[in-house]
Amino acid sequence: MYKSKVIAGVDIGTSKVAVLLGEIQEGKSLNVIGFGDCSSRGVQKGEIVDFYEASDCAHAAILAAENQAKVKIDGVYLALSGGHITGRPSVAAVNVTSPDGRVTREDMEHVSAMAKDRDLPENCTVIHHLRRPYSLDGRAVEQPIAMEGERLEANYWTVYGDDRIISDAIHIINDFNLHVDDVVLSGLASSVAVASMEEKKNGVLVIDIGKGSTDYAVFMGGRCMSAGCVPVGGDHISNDLSIGLRIRLKQADSLKHRYGSAIVEHKDKSEKVWLNNDLEIGDRLVPLWSIEKIIELRTRELLDVVRKKLGALARPERLPAGVILCGGTSQLKNIDRCAANVFETRARIGDNGAKASEELRDSQYSVALGLLHYGLHFQSQQEQSGHQGRGIMGRIKGMFQKV
Amino acid sequence: MIEEPELFEREDGNIRMKVVGVGGAGSNMVDRLMLSNPPGVHLTVLNTDQQALANSPVLDKYCIGTSITGGLGAGGEWEVGREAALADKSLLEEICQDVDLLFITAGLGGGTGTGVAPVLADVAAKSGALVISFVALPFTVERAKRSQIAQNGLEQLRDVCSAVIPLPNDLLIQESDSEASLLDAFGQADAWVEKAIKSIWSMMHKTGLINLDFSQLRQAFSQRAGKTLFGLGEGEGEKAVDEAIANLKLCPLLHTPEFSKEAERLLINIIGGPSLGLGDVKRIMNTITDEFGKEANVVMGSVIDDAIKDRIEICVIGTSDIRAGSPYLTRRPSKSKSENTLKPAENKTEEKPPKIKKITHARSIKTQQDEFAFNNSDPKGEFENSVGAIFEGQDLDTPTYYRRGVKIPL
Repeated sequence: MYKSKVIAGVDIGTSKVAVLLGEIQEGKSLNVIGFGDCSSRGVQKGEIVDFYEASDCAHAAILAAENQAKVKIDGVYLALSGGHITGRPSVAAVNVTSPDGRVTREDMEHVSAMAKDRDLPENCTVIHHLRRPYSLDGRAVEQPIAMEGERLEANYWTVYGDDRIISDAIHIINDFNLHVDDVVLSGLASSVAVASMEEKKNGVLVIDIGKGSTDYAVFMGGRCMSAGCVPVGGDHISNDLSIGLRIRLKQADSLKHRYGSAIVEHKDKSEKVWLNNDLEIGDRLVPLWSIEKIIELRTRELLDVVRKKLGALARPERLPAGVILCGGTSQLKNIDRCAANVFETRARIGDNGAKASEELRDSQYSVALGLLHYGLHFQSQQEQSGHQGRGIMGRIKGMFQKV
Repeated sequence: MIEEPELFEREDGNIRMKVVGVGGAGSNMVDRLMLSNPPGVHLTVLNTDQQALANSPVLDKYCIGTSITGGLGAGGEWEVGREAALADKSLLEEICQDVDLLFITAGLGGGTGTGVAPVLADVAAKSGALVISFVALPFTVERAKRSQIAQNGLEQLRDVCSAVIPLPNDLLIQESDSEASLLDAFGQADAWVEKAIKSIWSMMHKTGLINLDFSQLRQAFSQRAGKTLFGLGEGEGEKAVDEAIANLKLCPLLHTPEFSKEAERLLINIIGGPSLGLGDVKRIMNTITDEFGKEANVVMGSVIDDAIKDRIEICVIGTSDIRAGSPYLTRRPSKSKSENTLKPAENKTEEKPPKIKKITHARSIKTQQDEFAFNNSDPKGEFENSVGAIFEGQDLDTPTYYRRGVKIPL
C-alpha cells in the first residue's frame, strides 16, 4: 500500500536554519506544505561550534514548520557543509569474466563494491559516493552491462567528512525525536533546486556561497562529477573589511551590503563614503576603492580555490552551461561578473524558479528545497527497487552502534 | 649646535619635565595625569577660560590673555587664542623656564588649543626645551571648519615641536566598544597620553638594562618632525614579549592616515619586570626596526621596573624629515607666515633650535607611508580561535588582501 510521507529538509546554515516540509505522495510526487526558519547561532563556517545554541535554533525552525503545516514529520533530510568535508576519487578495475567478453551485472556490482570499499582516513564517514561513468577498456560508458570489453573500471567521487562533526548534526535532529533519513552535501542539495536537468546534461557548476562556507557541485552528462566545500563565505568578506579598515564587524557587514562589489568599480582612491552614514560622532570617511579591493580579492580567491579544487572539471569547455551562483553571498554586486572572469565562462545568479512557487523562489531556500527533491528521489528509488537505497544511513547507523 | 650639557643635566641628575595642558581638552588630559602623577613631572594647565580653569584640580594653572578675552575663552577662534598667547608671552616664557622636556597636550579645532599651543611650543623650543605635543583631532563629523582649523594648528605645531602626536578622536572612539560613552572614549585618549608620558618619564628616571639619557633623547628629536610615528604596546605573562609586539602592531595610533609608518629616527623604550632579558630586548628591537624603519637611527632604552612584574610595555616614537612629498608641503607658504608672526621680538641668538632641514630627496616614501603594512602575526579577527582553513599552504581565514600584501588606504 502506498501512503503519503512527510519529509523535512533541514539546512542548518551559518546565517540561518531553513526548514521545508514536503509531502511525498505515492512515492512519486512532492508537495511543499510548510516552511520555517530561524536565524542561526552556534554555527561557524558551516560547522556547529555550540551544540545547544545551534540545537535551539534548529528546533525553533522545525517547530515553526510543523506548526504551519500541522503535520508530523516522518523523516528528515539533513544538509551538511563545513571544512571537514573532503573528497577523493575512488577507482577500481576488474577483468571481465564471462566467456563471451560481455560485462555482466556481477562484474559491475563487484567493481563498484571494490571502488567504494577503499579505506578512509580515521574518524571519517562517507557522505556520498558520486558515480562517474564507467570506463570499459578506456572508453567512458554510462551503463556497461552487456557491453563487450576486457577491463571494466568503476569511478566514484567519494565525499566524506569527520564522523564526529556529522554525528553532532544528526544528534540535533535526533534530540528532537526525529529520524534522519539521510544526510546530503549542501552543494548537491542546492544544485537540485537551481540547475535544470538540461544544464546538468550540458555541464554546469553550481556554487552556493553562504555566510560561513561555500559549497559547490559540478555536473556533466546529467550526473554530479564532483562536489565539495570550502569553509569560506560571506563572513570572511566582512572580517577582511573589519581588519583592513579597522572597523567593527557590524560596520563591515553594513559597508559590504551598502557598497560591496566583487569587482573594483571605483578606481579613484580619493572617492570616499561615510562609514555609518548617521552623521554621529565616530563616523568617518572610508575610501570606496579599499572596500571594493578587499572584497574583490577575497571573492576572486574564493572562486579560484573552487576552480583549483575541481581541476580539469572546471575548464570552460566542460561547462557550456556556465556557472550558477546561489546562497546569501550571491547577492553581492558583480559577483556573477567576477565568477565569469575566474571560470572564463558565463555565470548567472540562480534561483529556485523552476522548482518552487513564488515565495520559495529566493535561493536562500535552495538547500532545503533540494533536500526535499533528493528525498523524493530516494523514496521513489526505494519503492522501485524494493530494497535498501544506497545505504548512506546504513553506514551512519553502523557508526552509532559502534559508539 | 652649542648645546651645553649642564643646561639639562641638573645637580640631582634628573631632568625637568613639565606637562602643560592647553585649553579644555588639553587640561582634561592633564587632570587625568594628576591621579597618577609620576614624581618629578610638573603639571600645569593653561586656558583662556577662567571658569573652566577653576574646575581643574591641577594646582599650577594660569589664565592667559585676560586682556584680550576677559577670561571668557577664545570662543572657538584660534586667532583669538593666538593673540591671547602672544599677549601673555612673558608668562609662557616663565612657564617654560628651566624645563628640559615639555609635553603639551591640547585639543585641536577649537580656539585655545589651536591658538595657544603653537605659541607655547615655540617659546619652549626657543628656551631650549625639547617639545613633544599630544593633540586630539576633531571627529570627522565635526566637518570642514573645525578640521580645517585643526589641520592648520597641526601644521603650525609640526613646525615648532620636536614631535607631534595626533590622536584622532574617530579612531579612539572606534577602539572602545560600542557601548562606551563618549566620555569613556575621551578617557581612552587621555590614557594613551598618560602611558606615553609615563614611558618617557621612566626612561629618564629609572635605571635599566640599557640606560637612555636626555642627550640621547634630544638627539633623536634634533630635527623638526614631519609626521610622527607613535605606538604603545603591552604584554603580560609567559608570552609577554610576543604579546607586547603584537599589541604594538595593533596599536590604533599606528593605523591612522595621519600617521607615519616609517621613520628615520626611532626611539624605543621597553619597560619590563626583573625577568626581562637582553634576548627579549634584542628581539623586540629587531622586530620594531624591521617594521618601522630598517635604516632608522635607533635610540633605545630598556628599563627594569620591579613593580610591573611579568608585564612588558613598549613605547615607540619615530620622526622623519619627510617634508618633501608630504601633503603639508603644498601648504608651505603658510609656514613662513606663521614663523614670522611667532618670532619673538627680542632675538635670542643662543639656543636657537636647529633650523628645519628642508629635505630635497623627494623619496617615494610617501606612498608607503600613508598606507598600512605590517608583517608577522596574521590577523584573523572573527576567526581567531577557529580551526584554520589551509589551502595551498595559506590560511584562508586570514584576509586575502593581507596575504597578498595589498596596501589598503584608510
